[in-house]
Amino acid sequence: MLEEGEGVCPPLKPLSDIRYRLLIKIYRTAYDFFGEMAMMAKENTRGRLLKFIPFISVAAFLISWQLIVQLGVVPKMLLAAPLDVLRLFIDKLTQPHPDGALLYVHVLVSLEEAILGYFLALAIGIPLGLLMGWFHTIEGFARPIFEMIRPIPAVAWIPLTIFWFGIGLSGKVFIIWLSGIVPCVINSFVGVTLTNPTSVQMAKTYGASKWRIFCTICIPSALPMVFGALQMALAACWTTLVAAELIAANTGLGFLITMGRRLTMPDMVVLGMILVGLTGFIIGVIIDAVEKKLLAGIRR
Amino acid sequence: MALQTRATTIPNRPQPPRRLIKFLFSALGNRYFLYTLSVVMFLAFWDLAAVKKVLGNFLPRPIEVLSQLLSLNTEPLASKTLFEHLWASIHRVLIGWAIGVSIAVPLGIFMGLNPYVRAIVKPVFDLLKPMPPISWISLSILWFGLGEESKVFIIAIGSFVPCILNSYNGIRLIDPALYDAARMMGANRRQEIIEVGFFASAPAIFAGLQISLSIAWSCVLAAELVGSRSGMGFIIILGMNQSSPALIIAGMVVIAITACLISVLMDRLEKMVCPWKRELPQ
Amino acid sequence: MKNAQVKIEFRNVSKTFIQKETQKVHVLNNINLSVYENEFLVILGPGQSGKTTLLRIVGGLESPTTGEVALDGREITAPGPDRSMVFQTYSLFPWRTVLGNVEAGLRFKGMAKQQRRQIAKKYIELVGLNGFETAFPHQLSGGMKQRVGIARAYANKPVVLLLDEPFGQLDAQTRMLMEKEIIRIWEEEKGTVVFVTNNIDEAIYLGDRIVILEGKLPGRISGEYKVNLPRPREHTDIEFLKLRKKIFNSTELIL
Repeated sequence: MLEEGEGVCPPLKPLSDIRYRLLIKIYRTAYDFFGEMAMMAKENTRGRLLKFIPFISVAAFLISWQLIVQLGVVPKMLLAAPLDVLRLFIDKLTQPHPDGALLYVHVLVSLEEAILGYFLALAIGIPLGLLMGWFHTIEGFARPIFEMIRPIPAVAWIPLTIFWFGIGLSGKVFIIWLSGIVPCVINSFVGVTLTNPTSVQMAKTYGASKWRIFCTICIPSALPMVFGALQMALAACWTTLVAAELIAANTGLGFLITMGRRLTMPDMVVLGMILVGLTGFIIGVIIDAVEKKLLAGIRR
Repeated sequence: MALQTRATTIPNRPQPPRRLIKFLFSALGNRYFLYTLSVVMFLAFWDLAAVKKVLGNFLPRPIEVLSQLLSLNTEPLASKTLFEHLWASIHRVLIGWAIGVSIAVPLGIFMGLNPYVRAIVKPVFDLLKPMPPISWISLSILWFGLGEESKVFIIAIGSFVPCILNSYNGIRLIDPALYDAARMMGANRRQEIIEVGFFASAPAIFAGLQISLSIAWSCVLAAELVGSRSGMGFIIILGMNQSSPALIIAGMVVIAITACLISVLMDRLEKMVCPWKRELPQ
Repeated sequence: MKNAQVKIEFRNVSKTFIQKETQKVHVLNNINLSVYENEFLVILGPGQSGKTTLLRIVGGLESPTTGEVALDGREITAPGPDRSMVFQTYSLFPWRTVLGNVEAGLRFKGMAKQQRRQIAKKYIELVGLNGFETAFPHQLSGGMKQRVGIARAYANKPVVLLLDEPFGQLDAQTRMLMEKEIIRIWEEEKGTVVFVTNNIDEAIYLGDRIVILEGKLPGRISGEYKVNLPRPREHTDIEFLKLRKKIFNSTELIL
């Protein structure tokens, strides 16, 4: 046995049978060579398979969709095949028939309403939320009103807005603004309340006033949450826009969807739905890119 | 003998007016005082604006809204009282939500556990995700008509998306060390999934349920706005058609209160079901 | 400890991890090690030397790329309650109370409730957490969480106890306290213990035998020391410090 305090170098020897050792060596090299290749190959095929399946799945989905309609499993009146939708899409790029406007007019109208309402919501909601988080007086006054507005789903405002503003642009912008302002205020508020108290104390030791601390410490540290609000507010705005246009509008993507139902043209309905989804997705991607650029370096 | 001391100097008390000012200032710092003041001022401004007809005939006084609410309780509107309309809406929400959730949660869990299921389902789901559930309304009415089924369908679709997302992420983001710990204690695969997978993802799944319930409430209103004979959405559209803003606002108040109650209820449930979830700092 | 039984034997164990298609990481290279029955073995090495992988191989969570590990002569292929592990990051189930965590292993075995409670309570008392049975992990401090981890490991009546830098996340005072505690618990419960650490003081304080892993990957055993000091040991004892100096001079460890 080893004596106390004595180090033993080199490490313990294995069983010293020479044949055993040779066998081990051969075995080890072979396993090294083949075993690694086998392991990597297994990982690779699995990886490659997993990469292919999504494409197959989407293709299968589209193909079965097309076949369901084409083969009459679902009547043509109820569902439009993807090719029909595509046809209508190309059609409407140049033809104002049957709902009275070219496709790009609809898209532009929807975008206009949404973006106006969205940026108005950001412009008012974010400063309000930031101020509410830091100044108690502002919070005391604004919070009850905000808490009263918050639980009302944006769609519930539609009849009142139509009643007040009619079916025009201003009414829709109002509703979209209402729905976008809620996540902005909440996120900005929480962002400011989560300011690191140590940073605040540090600023106080330098003699900074409350307003100064707010501008130089609270706002920058709340930025990640504020940017989180951008995406949420966009989703809320876009959904509310569609709801508002579904119910009362003359142009726009939601109007397209409703028109399709009234004229029993499911391809128009599906076209409208896809465009709604696509536009929302693209705007989301743009906002994501802007956010990455502006927040580069700040850890989320 | 009790020790008695006598004040040798008269303490300097501030004069009454200054005391009042001090009290007012300290009250202004008190949060709840500000809240009450704000609500009172809001109601006062509302009343003033209604009386002075700022928005024409379009703004009813708060009293009118209240009386409308009370009368709704007693007089049936389109042959249903307020509570019957409310129940009609809630009823649709519950059915649609239950359907959506019972498909979404198992599917999300499966997606999280099995990479093949995920590879098949997720891309299709990602394609359909950006389409807001409300945009399905037209299609749903085309398919099911203006009856209950179309509304339940929309609600189910609306509840589907956040549930499946949360279930999937809840399972996917479990700390693998927890699985290790379970295995080291002798759990077989089935016990591992039940003990670790189920409980560790429960908070996320429950959060998904909460979100989808509030989306469901929003969806039912939208569906009822488009076409319905009963429900809270019907009430507010009726108010619009009858040019009765008091009815509209009364309906909106009831809708808001219901949404509040739902979220409070879900919060309580969450504390019961997941008592280990840490409280975030307020 | 003459003629002691060999409990765990490593024979030519190597481990390679394959990351991202073509990147290979050789973590262990040709490890030969014997762990004797009822001894407290400490594996000492700086960070990134493969100690955790070594322990995980014994636990059965990883399998060696080459070579084999045997417990009582039988090869280890899968994790099991006969080798219990105490994790560095506690890994307690946050949804279970302290009692629920400690009796988790027994629950997996299918033991009856009454029996489970009894055994779990005994071990909770042993680690000194009486009165905290109904607390949730997020309400406990780091030291207490690790005690729960130790109780949880011992409740399964393991043949070998594995500890993976269990006191690494604790502050210095709590750490020394826990070292005393683990020795006390081990002396009461007996059994074989394999303890992984990167702290020389901890190694000498705790271990009957110290095995040193070299600092660079792939890890190899670069030395072995036997500690014959009587327990309880003193960090400032002259023999302690002599051994410490020896180990310190032969490794890259600074602590």
